[in-house]
Amino acid sequence: MAVASLVAIVDDDESVRESLPDLVREFGFEVQAFASAEEFLASDFVEQTRALLLDIAMPRMSGPELQQELTHRGHKIPIVFITANGDDAIRPRMLAEGAVECLHKPFSETALLRALNAALRVG
Amino acid sequence: MEASLASLVDELGEAALRKSERESRLIVDSIPGLVATLTPAGEVDAVNSKILGYCGRTLEELKQWGTSDTVHPDDLPRVIEVIRQSMTSGDPYEIEQRIRRFDGVYRWFQVRGLPLRDSNGRIVRWYVLLTDIDDRKRAEAQLAGEKRLLEMVASSCPLTDVLTALCTFVEVISADCHCGVYLIDWSGPRFRNGAVPSLPATFNDRTDGLPVCLEIGPCGQAALLKQQVIVTDLETDPVWQESAIRPLALAHGIRSHWSTPIYARDGRVLGTFAIFHREPARPTRVQQDLIAQVTHIASIAIERVLSEAALDKLRSELAHVTRVMSLGALTASIAHEVNQPLSGIITNASTCLRMLNADPPNVDGARETARRTIRDGNRASEVIARLRALFSKKEFTLESVDLNEATREVTALSLSDLQRNRVMLQFELADDLPAVRGDRVQLQQVILNLLRNASDAMAGVDDRPRQLMIRTERDAGDRVRLTVKDAGEGFDSHTVDRLFEAFYTTKPSGMGIGLSVSRSIIESHHGRIWAEPNDGPGATFAFAIPCAVERTV
Repeated sequence: MAVASLVAIVDDDESVRESLPDLVREFGFEVQAFASAEEFLASDFVEQTRALLLDIAMPRMSGPELQQELTHRGHKIPIVFITANGDDAIRPRMLAEGAVECLHKPFSETALLRALNAALRVG
Repeated sequence: MEASLASLVDELGEAALRKSERESRLIVDSIPGLVATLTPAGEVDAVNSKILGYCGRTLEELKQWGTSDTVHPDDLPRVIEVIRQSMTSGDPYEIEQRIRRFDGVYRWFQVRGLPLRDSNGRIVRWYVLLTDIDDRKRAEAQLAGEKRLLEMVASSCPLTDVLTALCTFVEVISADCHCGVYLIDWSGPRFRNGAVPSLPATFNDRTDGLPVCLEIGPCGQAALLKQQVIVTDLETDPVWQESAIRPLALAHGIRSHWSTPIYARDGRVLGTFAIFHREPARPTRVQQDLIAQVTHIASIAIERVLSEAALDKLRSELAHVTRVMSLGALTASIAHEVNQPLSGIITNASTCLRMLNADPPNVDGARETARRTIRDGNRASEVIARLRALFSKKEFTLESVDLNEATREVTALSLSDLQRNRVMLQFELADDLPAVRGDRVQLQQVILNLLRNASDAMAGVDDRPRQLMIRTERDAGDRVRLTVKDAGEGFDSHTVDRLFEAFYTTKPSGMGIGLSVSRSIIESHHGRIWAEPNDGPGATFAFAIPCAVERTV
């Protein structure tokens, strides 16, 4: 049996870290959740991560900054951004910066699954 | 005056009774005033030499006063009527009338007639004393005119109406001239016709929009050099041969052109007041006084309109800010706050369904996610309740406000903004903070504004934590103080006085509204708002307002 792909979630919002991993696990993926970009970078899971669900606005290092840092370190992890900001201009900007998808909260499970599958195909 | 006239009549009466014509004429001529005698029927009998000199007419000519222009035509019917009545009744009379001087100028006189009676009580003559009251009359008319103009200003008449009335006023008082008020739009800089009521459009159309420069004419020089410019004769004055105004003025028969700057209270030039004559002319002292008075009134009228325009601008900017804030940043905040729990609800509900559909169903997991769904639902409704509390009141309402609570509500709404700007918010809210009395929504606008400013000031800061401290505490004199301290760019100490002025801003996209509005809100709460640079980087803004007074029965 193939080892399930690891999806990492980085979001400073505790309720997201509480609810989202369960759903992603229900999809059949392995999940690890982190409260900050720094915590994720310091963890042992960076190498194994196949897809990253990443919050855009966080205190200290932001989502896009983590994206840059990962590129800088040579990790090519496909990224799905999630944001509670309703600004329509954000998604095209994130896609232009190399993200696989950018989901505006609240998003449906179908949208999430489609985005994760797209990310895993890239990776 | 009364005594001297009475004693004069006595003296003249004695001479008349002695039938000494020569004697009475000598007496009349010795009087320093203007004196005449009338027959009982009201015909001119004799006049003293002062009257002959003043009028420049012979006695024979003066006897025809009832049909000549000696008395001003506007006054003549009234004068004839008053004298006729007095001749009939025998009562003394007194009347104010204009009398023509030798050079054609009419001056105002107070004319008083007293009857001289013989021993039988019959009137034998009327003695008439004429007193020159032209200066007084002019001063009265001027005062009344100025009062009327100021009333127009005070009652918010349109500026054009006030300036037109002002020009007409001067044209009436100082005869044979044309007046104009030219406003200056310093962005050009260009002249704008404020009011030029008595010159034709062929003249006015050409002056409107002329550039404000020295070469243009006396008004340009008056405005730029901030001094009165008197051109006695435009045709011959060598200085103005090349000026733009000269051919235009001469084509309209204008020879002399005086221009006086109209100053604002702070010394800026608002415009110029011009007087044109069709003959070469220099201002008299009286005219200079008049010019000084009307330019002063014009400056009040113009400044009032400008300050009203500034107020209107402030109001519309404010409405704009409110709109932009509520539609833009504020809806973004609201969307963010509402989307978070909504997202949780959908995620948890999806998970819950999946757990129940599994084989075998994961009931414990489903129960846990359902519980989270409810919690997120409650969280969303709390956000809505907070918003409703914040925006339900529109009118200024006085209530007891807990500044700590008000602060927490505002920061809860700005949290996403602050977070996006990576601002670290730190609270030091005093536990024993007394309530203040005021409008909660307005006070929250002030707090929100201080938070935004602090956050914006730290947007470019990368070499130190973007720390924002918000503190509440008791202040001296039964006041409550709220302080917002940032680690941003700070401000120059010499700009501190300007920070709270409207339209002053250091932000590239700012409008300079927030702090001036904040100040007016705090002042309406009988409080004070101020700013000071920190010892380290950044600035501290604070306000203090009085505590709510406990009502004792």
